[in-house]
Amino acid sequence: MNTIEVRDLRRIYKTTVGVVRRKIKEVVAVDGITFDVNRGELFGLLGPNGAGKTTMIKMLTTLLIPTDGTANILGYDVVHQANAIRSRIGFIFGGERGLYWRLSGIDNLRYFASLYHVDPEVTMKRIPQLLELVGLSDRGDEKVEGYSRGMKQRLHIARTLLHDPEILFLDEPTMGLDPVGGREIRQVIRDLQSEKKTILLTTHYMFEADALCERVAVIDQGRIVALDTPEALKQGVSDLSVIEIEVFGVPEEVMNQIRNLPFVDTVSVEDLDQKQALHVHSAKGSEAIPPLLSALESVRVGKVTVREPTLEDAYVRLVGGKV
Amino acid sequence: MKPGMLKAYIHVIKLAFIFTLKQSMTDAFILFGIFVQPLLIAIMALFILGDQGDELVIFIVVGSGLTGLWDSVLFQSGNSITRERWTGTLEVLVAMPTPIAVIVFGKNLAFVTQALGSMIVAYTFASIIFGYPLSIESPMLFILSIVLTVLSFVCLGLVLATLFVLNPDVQRWQNGLEFPVFILAGFLFPIAILPMWTTPLSYILAPYWAAVALHLSSSGKPNILEMGLPWVMMVLLGVLYLFLAFWLFRKMLFKARVDATLSGQ
Ligand SMILES: Nc1ncnc2c1ncn2[C@@H]1O[C@H](COP(=O)(O)OP(=O)(O)OP(=O)(O)O)[C@@H](O)[C@H]1O
Ligand SMILES: [Mg+2]
Repeated sequence: MNTIEVRDLRRIYKTTVGVVRRKIKEVVAVDGITFDVNRGELFGLLGPNGAGKTTMIKMLTTLLIPTDGTANILGYDVVHQANAIRSRIGFIFGGERGLYWRLSGIDNLRYFASLYHVDPEVTMKRIPQLLELVGLSDRGDEKVEGYSRGMKQRLHIARTLLHDPEILFLDEPTMGLDPVGGREIRQVIRDLQSEKKTILLTTHYMFEADALCERVAVIDQGRIVALDTPEALKQGVSDLSVIEIEVFGVPEEVMNQIRNLPFVDTVSVEDLDQKQALHVHSAKGSEAIPPLLSALESVRVGKVTVREPTLEDAYVRLVGGKV
Repeated sequence: MKPGMLKAYIHVIKLAFIFTLKQSMTDAFILFGIFVQPLLIAIMALFILGDQGDELVIFIVVGSGLTGLWDSVLFQSGNSITRERWTGTLEVLVAMPTPIAVIVFGKNLAFVTQALGSMIVAYTFASIIFGYPLSIESPMLFILSIVLTVLSFVCLGLVLATLFVLNPDVQRWQNGLEFPVFILAGFLFPIAILPMWTTPLSYILAPYWAAVALHLSSSGKPNILEMGLPWVMMVLLGVLYLFLAFWLFRKMLFKARVDATLSGQ
């Protein structure tokens, strides 16, 4: 038995559209997904906005009923044995909602611990340790409404460890954190990994997935488009190198021209402050630079560099230029 | 239910109760509702009834107190789940192993206790200012009646909370239910003046039996037997509401998991 077993899972949302003629519109958020997560494994779910990651996590944490297919956590069915699952898992849904803003951080934790039936004495011992762990020791007695977004996020992380769960579902745990805060949370996640917790994580930060995850599944439009170790996924694009070109305002025609160059695999644009960075994937390596520059003739160009592909490049190729 | 679970649930109810009160105490708007509003109502009621005899004064005080309790059940307990949905906490609670009904029980207990406490303060204050005697004829029977009233109102609030989440027209329902229950439950005048066909409706409302018990024990010296009927009815209806609420909670939560409505926007 695997810790998490997902078989042909589907989830359709029905929403009504239109005011006068109300029609039911169906959105297929998760479209037949199958995977397993082993005990003690740190597994990543990657994919563009709207790919179905959060929907997946909500089904596994018993908050959404799948439209089709099955999912088991520790052998318990997410639909019919939800209660057995709930006491054994921890979860974070990303963002700052889901806390009592008019209570202090400590009161929030006391309350949630009681809902997990943690003994009150154990709770009082564990709360200071957890606050320490997430770096909120000196703010725990303040009301949550005065917390910054990142502090609320950290409180969620403390909350999810109150009952020492075997399995953790972390939906974008580092979203909106400053770089140092993000690094601290990644360290917490690594520590949990070394305690042999099973962790399912979603993130939009590819370096984070690369640094933490043992395996990742890339999903796009509700389907798995790749499932492997980060190394293997990078191997898949090892034939490519990435040419990064700094540009200052690049018109759409020029972009299309570059896309159509025979040796160009994919192009993505990253918006930086005043400029953009073009990431061009090509098997030709530095030989591709001269023709690229001639295509960019009419554009002001900055630094040009060639580098080895990263997980992000593998990801971009898989989901087709969308970041 | 496993042994030891009861203890855990009682702890949940205790914390839900304390933290709900704590949250209200930091909300100026709620504080106004709790302390100022009942005081105004009390002053008005006592003013209008000035010289009509002590017995009538206590009848009005108890009756208007009940209207305050019913309002708090209808509007605060009734909205307790909906409010958690807006703040995103409902989703978090549902993914935890404690049944939502247990949590909402603790919250509703806080709402009703808060309403009760504020009225006691308000009436005492008003009677001191205006010098009206506020004497309860049978204090022991009255106190026991209050306890049963609070518990049965809390159970009724649980039912309302689920019904209101399932129903998109909540506000209209709440406003529509406010006065009919004042009247059907006989808070301020006896139901004998109502048409016969409404009597069964009164009998299935715990607030009616609460009004009977509280009016009897505050304005007279009933014997235990006379009190027995309303007490037993409050207990029976309370248990009935509780079962109904647990069943409705199961339905409501399953439906919310199907329709993806646990996290309100
Ligand atoms: N409650 C809902 N009702 C209707 N459609 C929904 C609902 N929740 C999500 N969807 C739709 O389902 C699809 C998948 O959404 P989901 O939130 O799972 O994506 P995601 O991968 O988590 O995206 P992101 O990276 O932006 O968090 C999207 O098309 C979204 O619009
Ligand atoms: Mg998401």
